[in-house]
Amino acid sequence: MGQLVVNGLALGSIYALVALGLLLIFNTVQIVNFAQGQLLMLGAFIGITGAVTHELPVAVAWAVTMLAMALIGVVFMVLVYFPLRGRPPFLVILTTIAMGIVLENLALIIWGPLPVSLPSPVHGAPLRFFGVVISMHQLFIFGTLAVILLLQFLMLNKTRFGILMQATAQDLHTARLVGIPVNRTIAVAFAFGAMLSGIAGLLVAPIFLAEPTMGGSLGLKGFVVSVIGGFGNLPGAVIGGLFLGLIETFGARYISSNFRDAYAFIVMIAVLVAWPRGLFGEKSSEKV
Amino acid sequence: MNNRIPLALGAIAVLAIPLATHDGYIIQLLNIAILNAIVVLGLNFATGWTGQINFGQAAFYGLGAYTTAIATKAGVPWIATPFLSVVIVTAASLVLGLPTLRLRTYYLAMTTIGFGEIIRLIIVHWEPVTGGTSGLRAIPGISVFGLAPQGQIQHYYLLIAVLALAVLVAVRIRQSSLGRAMIATKDSEIAAEQSGVDTTRIKLLAFMIGAIYAGLAGCLYASSIRFISPDSFSGTQAVLLMTMLIVGGMGSIAGCIIGAVVLTILPEALRFMGQWYLVLYGLGVIAVIVMAPGGLASVASMIRMRQASPR
Amino acid sequence: MSERPIIAARGVTRRFGGLLALDSIDLDIPRGIVQAIIGPNGSGKTTLLNALSGASHADAGSIRIDGTEVFGLRPHRIARLGLARTFQTIRIFTNLSVLENVEVAAACNRPGSLFDVVMANARQRSGEAEIERSAREALEIVGLGGRADDRAAQLPYAQQRLLEIARALAAKPDVLLLDEPAAGMNMTESMTLLDTIAKLKARGLTILLVEHNVRLVMGISDRVAVLDFGRKIAEGTPVEVQRNPHVIEAYLGRRHRHA
Repeated sequence: MGQLVVNGLALGSIYALVALGLLLIFNTVQIVNFAQGQLLMLGAFIGITGAVTHELPVAVAWAVTMLAMALIGVVFMVLVYFPLRGRPPFLVILTTIAMGIVLENLALIIWGPLPVSLPSPVHGAPLRFFGVVISMHQLFIFGTLAVILLLQFLMLNKTRFGILMQATAQDLHTARLVGIPVNRTIAVAFAFGAMLSGIAGLLVAPIFLAEPTMGGSLGLKGFVVSVIGGFGNLPGAVIGGLFLGLIETFGARYISSNFRDAYAFIVMIAVLVAWPRGLFGEKSSEKV
Repeated sequence: MNNRIPLALGAIAVLAIPLATHDGYIIQLLNIAILNAIVVLGLNFATGWTGQINFGQAAFYGLGAYTTAIATKAGVPWIATPFLSVVIVTAASLVLGLPTLRLRTYYLAMTTIGFGEIIRLIIVHWEPVTGGTSGLRAIPGISVFGLAPQGQIQHYYLLIAVLALAVLVAVRIRQSSLGRAMIATKDSEIAAEQSGVDTTRIKLLAFMIGAIYAGLAGCLYASSIRFISPDSFSGTQAVLLMTMLIVGGMGSIAGCIIGAVVLTILPEALRFMGQWYLVLYGLGVIAVIVMAPGGLASVASMIRMRQASPR
Repeated sequence: MSERPIIAARGVTRRFGGLLALDSIDLDIPRGIVQAIIGPNGSGKTTLLNALSGASHADAGSIRIDGTEVFGLRPHRIARLGLARTFQTIRIFTNLSVLENVEVAAACNRPGSLFDVVMANARQRSGEAEIERSAREALEIVGLGGRADDRAAQLPYAQQRLLEIARALAAKPDVLLLDEPAAGMNMTESMTLLDTIAKLKARGLTILLVEHNVRLVMGISDRVAVLDFGRKIAEGTPVEVQRNPHVIEAYLGRRHRHA
């Protein structure tokens, strides 16, 4: 059972990363990116192209991937955010879904449909405690999550740029009025949001194989995690992610592995039935 | 009423199509387009008029299809299947509709997506009954007291008649207090409530009527195409249906039909493009949303307005 | 002749987090008068209207419309009991025509059956005819009869406000709540509004008016209640209230209290 916990937490950490990327974008521009999963997929494949196809050292492949994802994030912003500013959220949802379709099929064209593997950046014998096996890669996942959380916290709260980002997130219009370079902060949000998902992809690929259609369900799980943790709430997303990872792992083992993907939705629906505005309220309700 | 003449011409053209081509493949494609149009008309009630995002419409389509296929293969006379489909689909729409009444936008989208996924997983994994991923073949066809349409062309005319009925009901709803209440709920839920509209009842009703449209279309799909698989009713299909609604023109009855026909025929016509079709499709949807959010139906009226104004 | 007040509110209280928006408000509104509610910004006027109409429920208190307790009821039920309202920010149905906007409210007490609609039977047709007649009548009263078939979104601002009033009228209310109906109107438009309100009063409607425009308020109101920081600080005829030192201080003192 302890093994299930470890596996669940590792899986959950990846979900948490997807959610963090999603929330970074949402907190800044109030857009829920339904293509976040496809960004994860791109990260995995760019990493594979670097590390496997071109046999770059894994660390270099990672660096290249993160850079590429940042660029993709900015392109994404240009194609999706700017044209759709001020449009009703429903159309934004459809647009990001459409982008997801575009990215997924471009990936199918470039890399083909077959699953591919990516080696982990860390090697070594797994740790063993009390009958539980923790692989080096799983440790790496926990470590990466911790580092990212720390960096994110430091950046948002201790750097000048981070404070500007928070201001932009709270009130875009006023931020612009007081001279904050709003477009730059939004670009950074998209770049980092894409990078976070890309990192999640690099972490997932060594465990489950990567294939172009992997983005759909992972993206949805990221959203579910955001809902469970309280939309917009970053620590909540982490807790929600870990929680979901555990539920899925235990559910697959004890109830049925066929319905693995359904557990996420069931939990989310249960949360929403109890708190229709989400655990922390949603901004898009009609004010009187 | 200058709408009557183009409408009559259009009706004649539609009825004459099977005279122009006997290609069974094309007619079957059109039949699928007509069925999709009925489903999109259903989607329009909840999403187009009442403003409730619904990515679960494909699931209702599938429920109707599978109910019919399973029932007829088990020997149930065809005449009972539309009723069975309606019952199942109405129950399902309440299961989805009731918890989602107080949800908005993103949460509503996600919940309906989740519902669709759960239904799909059930269909895929309940192999002994649903045939799993391979689907169900050799589904018995439509048969009412011994009368059965033979061949794609007869099905075509039958489906056109059903579509006409679906349009008639939709028009009647639009021109009644029910239709106005739906649109009012979307435009301003609070003002609608203060004007005496029970918005909860309206949302549920719109959902249910939409689900019934999809369920009946599914029943006909199973009985006329005679082969179904989970792929035809997946989340991707749900997105496709939504884009048919948007591209055609959300809220417009004609738009539903235009969008369904265009986006059913296009992938076949552009089959030579392979995977690139979907890339183009995605970019095309974005282009429509950005440049003509009222869809193709609004393009038509924009052209009409340009011609009308004496500049 | 102690007739029951058409609206009787007791102890209506509303909190937003730590802020007490309404502090145990008591208000009686006799039938057939024009009652104004005035007060500085943030005094709770719209919150009170929302509580009365059910749009945003109060936390505590009793609200009776013609003797029937309506606290906690959903807005559409309160509407069917005879209370209609307009909004501070215009909320017309932009995707409907002017006539259809009003018809929505005209169907207020006629929920209609799906079966009738689908069958388009005689009962449906006569019901629709009645709704249309009722709606056109309401449009005539506010002077918008000629624009019935226009898209509601195309109306100029002041006429959209009149449309909201027509829509509220079509619900055949006993009480009409008007939330800053003169906002954004010029002199001529305000005078038209004043005439319309007088016309409505003459038809027996009771009108509850929330307004900033002092001239409008004093010109048409029979009684005035003044709110400040969620509390009712004065009540009486327009002249009495104008002279009340607490009222003067509430309006003037504001300038010094706020940064």
